[in-house]
Amino acid sequence: MKILITGASGYLGNKLAHSLANKGNQVSALVRSPSADKFLSHPNIHIVRGDVLEKESIVTAMKACDQVYHVAATVAPWIKDSNDYYKVNVDGTRNVLDAAVQTGIEKMVVTSTCGVLGPSLNEPLSENDPRLTAFKMDYELSKKMAEDIVFQYTRQGMKIVIVSPAKIYGPGNVSHSLTANAVIDEFIYQRKVFIPAPGTYKACFCYIDDVVNGHVLAMEKGRSGEKYILGGINLSYQEFFEEIRQLSSCRGRIIHASRNVLRAWAVFQWLNYKVTGTPPRFTLNALDIVWSNYIFNSEKACRELGYTITSLPEAINQTIHFLKNQKHA
Amino acid sequence: MPDKFYTLITGASEGFGKALALECARRNMNLVLVALQGPELSFLEQFIKRNYSVDVVCIEKDLCRDDACCGVFCLVKKLGLQVNMLVNNAGLGSTVCFQDGSPLFYEKQIKLNVLATTVMTRHFLEMLKQNSPSHILNVGSMASFFCLPKKMVYAATKSFVYTFSRALRQEVKKDGVSVSVLCPGGMNTNLSLTLMIKSSNYFTRLTAMNPESAAPIALDGLLNKKEVIIPGRLNNCLLVVYKLLPGRVKTLLMRRAMKELNVENRFSQYLPQPLTILRCAQVA
Repeated sequence: MKILITGASGYLGNKLAHSLANKGNQVSALVRSPSADKFLSHPNIHIVRGDVLEKESIVTAMKACDQVYHVAATVAPWIKDSNDYYKVNVDGTRNVLDAAVQTGIEKMVVTSTCGVLGPSLNEPLSENDPRLTAFKMDYELSKKMAEDIVFQYTRQGMKIVIVSPAKIYGPGNVSHSLTANAVIDEFIYQRKVFIPAPGTYKACFCYIDDVVNGHVLAMEKGRSGEKYILGGINLSYQEFFEEIRQLSSCRGRIIHASRNVLRAWAVFQWLNYKVTGTPPRFTLNALDIVWSNYIFNSEKACRELGYTITSLPEAINQTIHFLKNQKHA
Repeated sequence: MPDKFYTLITGASEGFGKALALECARRNMNLVLVALQGPELSFLEQFIKRNYSVDVVCIEKDLCRDDACCGVFCLVKKLGLQVNMLVNNAGLGSTVCFQDGSPLFYEKQIKLNVLATTVMTRHFLEMLKQNSPSHILNVGSMASFFCLPKKMVYAATKSFVYTFSRALRQEVKKDGVSVSVLCPGGMNTNLSLTLMIKSSNYFTRLTAMNPESAAPIALDGLLNKKEVIIPGRLNNCLLVVYKLLPGRVKTLLMRRAMKELNVENRFSQYLPQPLTILRCAQVA
């Protein structure tokens, strides 16, 4: 099988490329710059230079491919020009879909995010639940717009499945500073982590290998025009880091950060950015997301795709092992 | 005395109506939700039933159609539901030069914003009197205070809602029915409005509210029998200042403000289809 992956230099795309290549597929990896090539050295992976913003390059890359995984997206919690979220996530998706129509791609899997579903109450949200709040983050909004475009294409008969991972962690190259991995690393080695007070807010932590598998399963069995949550374990931040503390036998402190202090800090960072140009680590809108439950129900993916969720201790052990190895490398 | 009362909300599947339905459910109020046909309404119903212990009845109706309001009322009667709160929320917004809007759209807009509000209120008034103390919440807009170019039809329909509500309030007070009118500023209710607000200037973004924060304010105001409810401190200040300004300055300000708001904005290129007037902004 010949498969194209966009965003193959990213955290998720990279793992997916290797996973598919290991299964004996011929994988074409659409990559913008040569800097990420070293992560893609595999006999079955062919690097194709291109950009989701340049439709011609995608069409060229897609020729002779049977399937496409569209993973590429701008996911950073903060970027200088918020228009880029829309350019890459919305226009980029449209370009990839157009190219797929042109080249007669058989089936596609598009990576979205649980962020489109938004914050939850005490019960996990499912695919069809209404969104409870307005869109505050450009990232979430742009992904929602991308989903709408996908549904427009599936209504016209194209075979596309949407998968929505939640908060991903686990072995892999880290692209920005607020990924779960980076926070876990800081907790183990700098022995501190800030979690939203009072620590009971829950998030959906999913293990990277599960999410990669979920993508492959969605391609195999996913129904076109459907969305599948690829979640993990719904847990409070307190419980998650206590588990890490226990398994890594580190003595990291779990510090309950007050919302107002962090808000003040976010404002300060914004002012600092305006004066010195230092990019902020987090923004006011991002705080709202941490100070609410973000939990999701993967039941549909489990039932229809056979999606499985790795147990928390095993996933955390693998992650700790990876982070330790990375330190020695 | 019936043991169960219901709050009827029109236009409940999206935007402010949805936020209000969720807020009512949170406060243990039983709901009759009226909205256009589509899966969203039943998704909302299922969500509320799963998360709150309230009764939810859904009625799929396009209130622009003739007899739709009567249809809703008959169905409620037939089901034996006792409504003690009526929220006329369904409405159609627009931001377009008058000449560019189609006659059919204006007809639909006036039907929904003016006719449906009036007719629904008329149908349910008797039941509300019987179930007193009861409440009516009509959703107007801050636009009803201003003469806004590009929003002339919308603003005029909302002025109707405003005047209608305040006058009706005097009349039905003695029957134990309290009428309130909600006049929100810009809200991030749906995708195109959210994008329009995002692409406008700092001040507009500052005054814009999210439906989930306006809904509790509206409900508190309603239950406290407030006559005019304006969510947001900034919007309240704005209105006071505006009222003090001389007429000529007002006109100038409005003209400038409306230059900013465009359905075709920097996000339009990213939307699935180019925005047509009929798709634009289903404002509360």
